[in-house]
Amino acid sequence: MDWGTLVAGLLTFAVFSFLYRDNPAYKWAESLLIGVSIGYTLVIAWTSTVSAMIIDPLSSGRWGVIVPLAVGLMLFGRFFPQTRSWSRIPIAVIIGSGAGAAIPAMLDARILNQMSPTVAPLWGNGLVASFGAIVLLSGVLSTLAYFYFSRERTGWFGAVASTGTWFLMIFFGTTFGYTVMSRVSTFIGRMEFVLGDFLHIIHQ
Amino acid sequence: MTDLRIRRWIFLGLAVIVVLTMLVPVTTKVTVSPYTQRMYDYIDSLPAHSVVMVSFDHDASSQPEIRPLSLCLLRHAFSRGLKMAGVSFQSEGTVIGYRMIEQTAKEFGREYGVDYVYLGFRPQLQAAILQLGESIRGLYAQDYFGTPLDSIPMLVGIDSLAQIAVVLSIADANNTTHWMEYGKARFNVPIIAGVTASMVTSYDPYLSSGQLSAMVGGLRGAAEYERLLNRHGAGQRGMLAQSATHLYLIALILTGNFIFLRARRGKK
Repeated sequence: MDWGTLVAGLLTFAVFSFLYRDNPAYKWAESLLIGVSIGYTLVIAWTSTVSAMIIDPLSSGRWGVIVPLAVGLMLFGRFFPQTRSWSRIPIAVIIGSGAGAAIPAMLDARILNQMSPTVAPLWGNGLVASFGAIVLLSGVLSTLAYFYFSRERTGWFGAVASTGTWFLMIFFGTTFGYTVMSRVSTFIGRMEFVLGDFLHIIHQ
Repeated sequence: MTDLRIRRWIFLGLAVIVVLTMLVPVTTKVTVSPYTQRMYDYIDSLPAHSVVMVSFDHDASSQPEIRPLSLCLLRHAFSRGLKMAGVSFQSEGTVIGYRMIEQTAKEFGREYGVDYVYLGFRPQLQAAILQLGESIRGLYAQDYFGTPLDSIPMLVGIDSLAQIAVVLSIADANNTTHWMEYGKARFNVPIIAGVTASMVTSYDPYLSSGQLSAMVGGLRGAAEYERLLNRHGAGQRGMLAQSATHLYLIALILTGNFIFLRARRGKK
């Protein structure tokens, strides 16, 4: 067994020991995880960002990176009272360009593109497709009614809003079911490592 | 019994069920869902030598769930003669992604630089995707090992998402969303996804609208894909444990509700 597998196996047991109660082995494993994660992220950030996007271009004579570098460094102006106002420029660039890129993209992907299947023809594509389209449209309209707070929920509007609650509950239930499945899968995946690679009880 | 003691027994029961079912050499029958079949057919339909950009956008914590699925998708792609360009926008996924792509490439005797390449990590997923749409070399001057992209045979004539056949986003959380918002909407590159099971319901509407060309999720998805590939793997091995655990959880929910209703009736 190599050292990596041994360490990973022992750390897995140290983390699982928390399920019984908090203990020094768990605390040690938790601290190690945080420390290694930060160290790893710093190394990746240095090699992939600072080194690859600043140092390498500058050392090969691509002086154009000085402009974004200078604007980026102005962010650190916040640490000193005399230069605090400098940081507004890069923050304005980040917010402005970020919002400019994100707003049309999100509007397009999350609303406009989603609306077209919602308003699909209700009939003419077969019984199953028609049923699906009617359920989809009912779900969207009743859920929107549920989130409409400018009218009292009585009469026909109250009935539609209540139907929206059912659609929401079904969605939450499905999502929770998938989330449970996801967590169980993670545990199974880890136990496969423990029983296979670490303890060699099962053969993969 | 205190809440803490009850929790310990629940966890112990879960562990016993998972260990016992994994020790039993029984493979449950897996039915292939339309989701998985759609993904299989999509990859199968790509012409040989097409370049697939594989984006490893997940943390290390998702690895136990997402690894079996990733290996299936990579194996299928390599078996079809597709070329792979690996990228990562999550720092923890960088090395994990490289190891998986290297492992599967070796299984099929693929050569680095000719059949696959790994470009590594870049921060800021949204900005990085926009840059990839304009110029891959603008984002990555070198590959993961410091080789200039112009020296890599596989990337000759490839410099933007327009030359990429499809982006395969292997992700946890909502990272695939950014590929659809920026990659698909802006540059019209098709997106397919291998995701954690918890994200399946979130991405379902994107699949219906065609913004996502195909999607497969979780260990269950891996088991189905392994069946399509005729290959026994971690997905199928875990299905008995998964089914038994689900029954255990259903029993717990029913028991909890029974105790709750009985206690409420007792109070009345």
